[in-house]
This record gives sequence, structure tokens and C-alpha cells, in this order.
Amino acid sequence: MTSIQVNQISKRFGSQQAVDQVSFEVEPGEIFGLLGPNGAGKTTTIRIILDIFKPDSGEVVVLGGKMSEEKKNRIGYLPEERGLYQDITLETCLNYLARLKGLKPAEAAARVEQMMKRFDLYDHRKKKVKELSKGMQQKAQLIITLVHDPQLIIIDEPFSALDPVNTQMVKDLLREERDKGKTIVMCSHQMHQVEELCDRLVLINRGKVMLYGKLNDIRRQYSGQEVIVHPLNDLPAQIPGVNRIERENSAYILHLADQITPQTILKNLVDQGIALERFEIALPTLDEIFIQVVTARGEFS
Amino acid sequence: MNKFWVVFKHEYLRHVKRKRFIFGLLSIPLFMAVIMGVSILAAVLSEDTRPVGYVDQSGLFKDAQPLPSKGSGFFAERVKILTFNDETEAGKALEDGKIQAYYIIQADYLATGNVRMIAKEAVDSEVHRDFSEFLLANLLKSENPTIRTRILEGPELTLRTFDSDQKFNSRNPFGFLIAIFSGVIFLLAVNTSGGYLLQAVVEEKENRTMEIVVTSLSTDQFMAGKIFGNLSVGLTQLLFWLVMAGVAALVAFRAFPDLSETGIGFSFFGLMTLTFLPAFIMIAALMTMVGATATEAREAQQIAGLFSLPIAIPFWFIAAIMENPNGPLAIGFSFFPFTAPMTLPLRSMLTNLPVWQIGLSVGLLFAAAAASIWLASRAFRLGMLRYGKKLTLAEILRPR
Repeated sequence: MTSIQVNQISKRFGSQQAVDQVSFEVEPGEIFGLLGPNGAGKTTTIRIILDIFKPDSGEVVVLGGKMSEEKKNRIGYLPEERGLYQDITLETCLNYLARLKGLKPAEAAARVEQMMKRFDLYDHRKKKVKELSKGMQQKAQLIITLVHDPQLIIIDEPFSALDPVNTQMVKDLLREERDKGKTIVMCSHQMHQVEELCDRLVLINRGKVMLYGKLNDIRRQYSGQEVIVHPLNDLPAQIPGVNRIERENSAYILHLADQITPQTILKNLVDQGIALERFEIALPTLDEIFIQVVTARGEFS
Repeated sequence: MNKFWVVFKHEYLRHVKRKRFIFGLLSIPLFMAVIMGVSILAAVLSEDTRPVGYVDQSGLFKDAQPLPSKGSGFFAERVKILTFNDETEAGKALEDGKIQAYYIIQADYLATGNVRMIAKEAVDSEVHRDFSEFLLANLLKSENPTIRTRILEGPELTLRTFDSDQKFNSRNPFGFLIAIFSGVIFLLAVNTSGGYLLQAVVEEKENRTMEIVVTSLSTDQFMAGKIFGNLSVGLTQLLFWLVMAGVAALVAFRAFPDLSETGIGFSFFGLMTLTFLPAFIMIAALMTMVGATATEAREAQQIAGLFSLPIAIPFWFIAAIMENPNGPLAIGFSFFPFTAPMTLPLRSMLTNLPVWQIGLSVGLLFAAAAASIWLASRAFRLGMLRYGKKLTLAEILRPR
């Protein structure tokens, strides 16, 4: 059973098409990346999945069916619009929101205490939320997302406002949750974080799906015209089929001409008797793919 | 339903546990008690309790008996009346400050009723009344006691309307005052609850907690919990003040036994409940709507004033309503949902309300309450995820 199934959803706000025929699936036990530039329609898509908005067309299946009140207790959501009740103590706030997720009073209190200790917030529990720093509030928000041990976790920009130490802690936590079999949907435009954590992803731009699939497959799909070579000695100045050669420390980056495959180059080098330590196809970073995809259509604003 | 109670409890306790709420709760009765205490004290201190004297030149009051006491109560004490043989003696007593004044009953009193009074300062009218009663009682002392009492007390007039069991006692205008008093308390409670509710909704927007909330429970449960939680804060206040007023009334009944029959019955409280309840809900819903459409608390409070203001309008026209409780103004106010809760109970104390008017007025109130709830939930659903952007009335009403 897939955790989330999004089928051809569309949503229009006034004259703006926020989401346009978007489809993807999220498998149980994976960290799934939902990527896109600002204003691409990520948050709207999430809101449709969570039944905050109704789609104009298309349908969403969450945890095997339509969204329901009962399912709300099995989903943890960290919204992009971070919000906490500012005027009450951290402890009261966390307990209240934990109870809204269906936890019994004693259960809520125990879980909140345990999480506050893990997130280093226990000493601040009697402070009003508005007295806490931005980073602390962000951690409090993560507690609310995870306190009821949800089966499906949807997090929008989880690392904003976190320092490197806390970023690492959250990454560890997310991996831990995945290893426990939880499904995680991570919404972000910070590509290196996604690269590090996600198994599969969908890239949305201007409401449309641009890329969808396994991270490695996508990178392979966008590779091909660059090769990294570590020779034992120097490379010749000219290699047929190579437009340009760049030197980077002990490695050379070969920019291939159109229609030339890496295999052709490898054969060529071997034929020339050049001894090689390593030969690899340069996989582009997600950042590069992202920029390529988004700017290629001249739609990045 | 379970989560409704979580929201209800959270909203209720959040306000009730605050120092601000407790101060507000205590300050009004305390304020009233201080005002009452000060005015009673002032009355007691300024009252001249010295006796008055009289010189009887008519010979009619030789063995005059003092008046019997009026019964229990703070102000039931009658002025003491002393007899003097002649004006010189009385004049000396007045000079010495032993009496506050003396009366000279003229020789031709029986024929003319002439009495002269000599005093240094103006004398309280109560003293004159007591003295007249003293004269009357003694003139009538040989009369049949039943007849004597009737002559002394006069008739007790009760006004009855032609077609109902409503009646007005000529000696008790207090029912009317109680209607006004209840109205004021209602107004205060509506303002408190409305204010809290408004704040509670705007706060969700200002704190941007809506998304967490709507992914935890249904908006209906959430709104119901919020509305009832905050209404209960107002009701707690109302109840506390009413209990305090009840205690004050008990004390007042002791002090002023006349108050005990105010002519207020079950039907008055029934009418009050029927008008106050839907009005309360209507205002609460409208406050919620304003909260959902506005972007920040200050702005919301300004708009909210527009709703609570019309409730008090009948008080400005109270003289006109009293003068003509069945006039077009009073009837018009009875049918306008905002002014009805103040006008209807007031009029019921002044006149006999036709059943159709009560029915129409209460019906309109309930309809207005239902319409307000509909508007509020619509505004709430549309407005909850708009940050920093206003929702217009046209958008709320536009069909989707």
C-alpha cells in the first residue's frame, strides 16, 4: 500500500494556476523529497494532500483512503508557516497540541517531557513561547510534529532557522524515523539537504511536475556530457570528441561534444594507451539539475 | 467530541486562570459595594437623629401616644417626638441643640390644620411625614383600629391589564430597575465574551497555528470548542455577578423591606433567557467572523465595537421607551435583533407585551443568530489561511 497517492490534481486561485495536473506516489518507509522553487506550488500540494484545500480536479489517497478525522492522529505535519501559541508556556502549548493529536493527558505529558529532554528544551518548559529563540521555537514545532508517533510525517522546510548542530540532529532524527518504518515527505528548496536524505523525489515548477523518480536515476538521466578522469600521468592536450578539458587537482573534467558517449571516450583513451586510475561519469548535483530544469524553460523568477 | 472538550477546556482555563480575569470579576462587585457603602454611610452620617418637639396650643394632643415603630430595617427608625409646655421652653431646647425643630400646633388646628414649625436649618421631609402621621394617628385614636390603619396607609393600588395576569404594584417601581440592571450585566458579559472570542480567533491567525489545528481536528469541533469555551468565560462572569447581586439583594431586602415584592416573576426571567441567549450567540458569532476576516487584533477590536454599540442604543432612548412603551420606537427596537435584548425585557416591565410581538422578536433573534453562525463559519473557513490579507464581505457571500 502506498502512503500517499496523488492523481492528476489541479488547483487554481483566481487567475493563478497553483497546481497543474500533478501526480506522484510516496512509498511507505521512504524519505520523499517534494522540491521546487519558491511559489512553485509545493505548499498548495501539501495542503491538498492534508485536505486543507479541496483540489479543483483530481484525487488524493492518503494511508489507503480519503483523509479522515481518525487519520489526522496518524499524520505529523510541520507547516511552512511556523506557528505556536505565543502567550502560554512552552509546556502548556506542547501538551495542548499533543492532546489535539489524540493523546491521553498522561501520555501527552510523558511524551512531551521525553521530547523536550531530547531537544534540549526541558529547562525552558516554564517559559512563554514568545520568550524562546527562533531555533528553539523551531524545535518545539518539530516536537509537535513527532510527539504522537505519526505513521506519516510531512515537513515543510525542516532546516530553516536551525544551526548546524541542530540541523544534524534533525537529520539523524529523520533517518531514525525512516528506519522505524515511518514515511517522510520533505518539502524543501535546499537541494543538498534533499540529496543527503531523500530516496526519491518530485520536482515541481509553476505547478507542474518537472522531474519524478529515484534520486540516482534522475542524476544519471542528467549526466552524460561530462567525464572525470584520473590518469597516472598527464593527458594529451587534444582528445577526439572532447570539446574542453579542465584540470581540477589530480583529476581532469572532460566536456564531451554532442552525440559522443563516455564509452567512446574510454575506448579512445585505452586505445591511445593512456593508463587510468579512475574513470567516472560525472553525476550532476541536484542543485545543478534543479537550476538546469528550472531555467531551461525560462520560468525561474 | 473528545477533542472538542480539549479545546473547550484549554480556551476556558486559559482566560479564567489569568489574573486579569479574576481582577475583572472582582472589581465590578467591589466597585458596586464601595459605591453603595459610601452612599449609605453618607446618608447615615448626614441624617439628623435628634428629636423634634411640639407645643400643643389646640389642646387636642394632651395625652398623645408615640407612633408605633415601622418594623425592621435600617431606615425604619422614626424621629422621636417630644412635647413642650410653651414656646420658650421649646425655643430653649432648640437653642441648646437638644431638638432639631419644633412645631406649634395652632389653637384653631382642627378647623384650619395650621401648624407652624421653627427650626435652624431645613428639616428632612421624613420628619414632616412622621409628624403628620403622629397628628393623624392621635386624632383617630378613638376610631376602629382597622379603619384607622386604612386611613393612615391609604389604598394600595395595583394595576392590572385587561387580558393577562400581569400586574404592576404602584408602590414598587423596582421591577423596572431590575430590568435595567440585568441589561447592564448582560452587556458587560457580552463584551467580555465577545472580546475574548475575537482575540481567540485573531490569535490563531496572528500565531499562524491554523494549519496545525486543522490537521489535528475538524474546524467544526475546533470552532465549537472555541465559541463555547469563551462563552463559558462570559457566563462564569455573569453567574458570579448574579450571585453577588443576589447576595446584595438579600442585604437590600433586609434594609428596605419594601423591595421584596418587585413584581418580577418567572415570565420575566423566561423572556430574558429567550432574548439574551440568541443575542449572546449572535454577537459571539459575529465577533468570530470579524476575527476571521481581520488581520490583526487591533483592527478587529475596532470593527467589533460596531456590533456591541447597537445593543446599548435602547438605553439612550430609555426616557422615550418609558414614556411610550408601545410606541413605534419601542416596537421597532423590539424587532431589531441588536436592540431587542435590551428593549423587550424593559418593555415587559412597563406594559403588557402582545404574544405576537414576543414571538416575532424572539424568532428574529434566533434567525439572526443562525445567520451569524453561518456567516462566521464561512468566513472562518475562507479567512483562516490568509495571512496579512483581509477578507471582504463580498467574498464571504460569494457562492462557491
